[in-house]
Amino acid sequence: MKLSTKLILFITGSKLAIVGLFILLLPFLIGQIAANYTNFSLRNQQKKVLQNINKKGIDYYFEGDNSYGSYTMLKDEYIALETVAQTLKLDTIRDTKRIVEQDTIAYRVLSFTFQKNQKNYLLEIGKTTASINLYNDALQRFALYVLIILIALSIIIDLIFTRQLIKPLSQIIKLRLTNSRFPFKKKHGHIKTSTQDFKYLDHSLISLMDQINEAFEKEREFTANASHEFMTPISILQNKMENLLTEESASEAVQEHIVDMMKTLERLKKISRSLLLISRIENEQFSKQDEIEPQTLLNEIVEEISHRLEEKNIQIDIDLSHNKSLSNINHDLLFQLFYNLINNAIKFNKENGSIQISDHLEKGYYSIQVSDSGQGIKAEDIPHVFNRFKKTGHAENAGYGLGLAIVKSIANYLNLKIQVNSIPGEGTSFKVIFEG
Amino acid sequence: MKVLIIEDEKTLAFEMEKFLKKAFFLCDLAHSFKQGFNKLELNQYDYVLIDLGLPDGDGFELLSKAKKSNPDAAYIILTARGKLEDRVAGLDMGADDYLAKPFFLPELQSRMQAIARRKFKVAEALIPLGNFNIDLQKRFVFFEEEQIELSRKEFDLLSYLLLHKNRVLTRMQLSEHIWGNFVDDDYDSNYIDAHIKNIRKKLNVYAPTEWLETVRGVGYRIKK
Repeated sequence: MKLSTKLILFITGSKLAIVGLFILLLPFLIGQIAANYTNFSLRNQQKKVLQNINKKGIDYYFEGDNSYGSYTMLKDEYIALETVAQTLKLDTIRDTKRIVEQDTIAYRVLSFTFQKNQKNYLLEIGKTTASINLYNDALQRFALYVLIILIALSIIIDLIFTRQLIKPLSQIIKLRLTNSRFPFKKKHGHIKTSTQDFKYLDHSLISLMDQINEAFEKEREFTANASHEFMTPISILQNKMENLLTEESASEAVQEHIVDMMKTLERLKKISRSLLLISRIENEQFSKQDEIEPQTLLNEIVEEISHRLEEKNIQIDIDLSHNKSLSNINHDLLFQLFYNLINNAIKFNKENGSIQISDHLEKGYYSIQVSDSGQGIKAEDIPHVFNRFKKTGHAENAGYGLGLAIVKSIANYLNLKIQVNSIPGEGTSFKVIFEG
Repeated sequence: MKVLIIEDEKTLAFEMEKFLKKAFFLCDLAHSFKQGFNKLELNQYDYVLIDLGLPDGDGFELLSKAKKSNPDAAYIILTARGKLEDRVAGLDMGADDYLAKPFFLPELQSRMQAIARRKFKVAEALIPLGNFNIDLQKRFVFFEEEQIELSRKEFDLLSYLLLHKNRVLTRMQLSEHIWGNFVDDDYDSNYIDAHIKNIRKKLNVYAPTEWLETVRGVGYRIKK
């Protein structure tokens, strides 16, 4: 899952959870608020009554009677004042029920006793519970709506902000990782961002790529220099042996030994040449300006390699159905690439086997496929066939393991893709896809 | 024929000299730019072999100077660099051929021979070989008046052996001549044997080919 999706999901989820909790608690909270407010207003009324009594005397209420009671019209509220026994002491607010004109009504009642003129009085101020909770539902609904709107708004803001925030990250991924191909030749500037972490990431990636390039460059230089430096000593040895071979004094046995040595030297020579070729390709020392007809190229190769086909009596079948011409390519390198593939197809083929060469046009890309009826490659070996000096299984005719390494470096250089498919015991096919 | 070998690796220069002497070339050696330049000022040569990697100067520069003092000589560039641009640049500057080190000595001689044929118009008459006659220029093999059909590679092989007659050539020397130093990792092949077999088969129809010898464990030789 992408980081931005995760962030959005998390933010939305946590917000919804908090809102859910709040909604569950809402009735209780609103009830609590209403109760507190009622208590507060009851106390206020109590204060007012006591002020009146202090100012105007208790008779202001009693008017000669020994008790006073007053209800509002709908019996929502009432005030009662009466004399009670001296021993009664009260100062409470609680919910009780009162019977008023045959109706049982739930009230919240403030009861308060006080001394006045050596008498003990009880003041009761009541408010119906129904009137207290009258606005709770409406309030709850209103709070809910406001909340939903606020949440929606904040999620939208979060979405926009996170996208903006994460943007440099996706730019870094795209520019540095997805779209960059080894070796990282193309230089891009730094990504613009004010986030410290992204800046650090970007800089680290750039310096890492530079380090890889540098290491690769060193390796390439070493390979080129080493294989190049080998050439002179190999030259000397080879020419010395050639002269030695023609010495009159050399006996037949000695001559045979010299030829054996020459064979070994020949191996060294070909390995050095192959490595030199690979490093030369990697150094881009070849132009890409040729135009090639695949049919002509393949015919040239088959003519060059016909002795090997004859030796194993292998049938080669070139069947190109698309009349395609390849441009911006290097003839010698493409020749070498297909030569190596066909040579491999012969080398790992059986006697009287066959090789099929066909072309395809898929998703707009042209490709040429070389398939053989050889021994095949095990699935676990396929990823390694292009590695240098990698030899798989069959030692008798394995060569030096550089043929396919050369194929790979040519393919990289010419922007070709190579797909390998193989069924052990039935054959292997190499598909060269021209993506340029 | 006089040859100047300009090569800073002395051992290598000696080996070349040794080989070319046997083929009746007169050799002169120079181991630096300066030596080579001096010798070119003093003498006239038929062939000049120039190593590009000289310690005290650029081989290309020497080539352009040499062309002034020895305009008629044939120039062959020798290099271990093996870069394609070097080859193109060398040929552009008027070199007649280019050999990448390491090369086989018979190959060097054969290139010199080819230049002679091309540049000095050395027309060889028909070369007799047993009961056959060979025309190297027109690339034909005759038995009496009859022309014998050989493939391109078979003719190359035969003429290469003929050029180095009485000398054993190994299968490696022969295959590098025919297929070039193309990068390919099958060195121990018997394709040469197959070609020799074909040549013998085609010629034996007309006359025996006992002059084409197999030297066991070494290679092939034309004895004359």
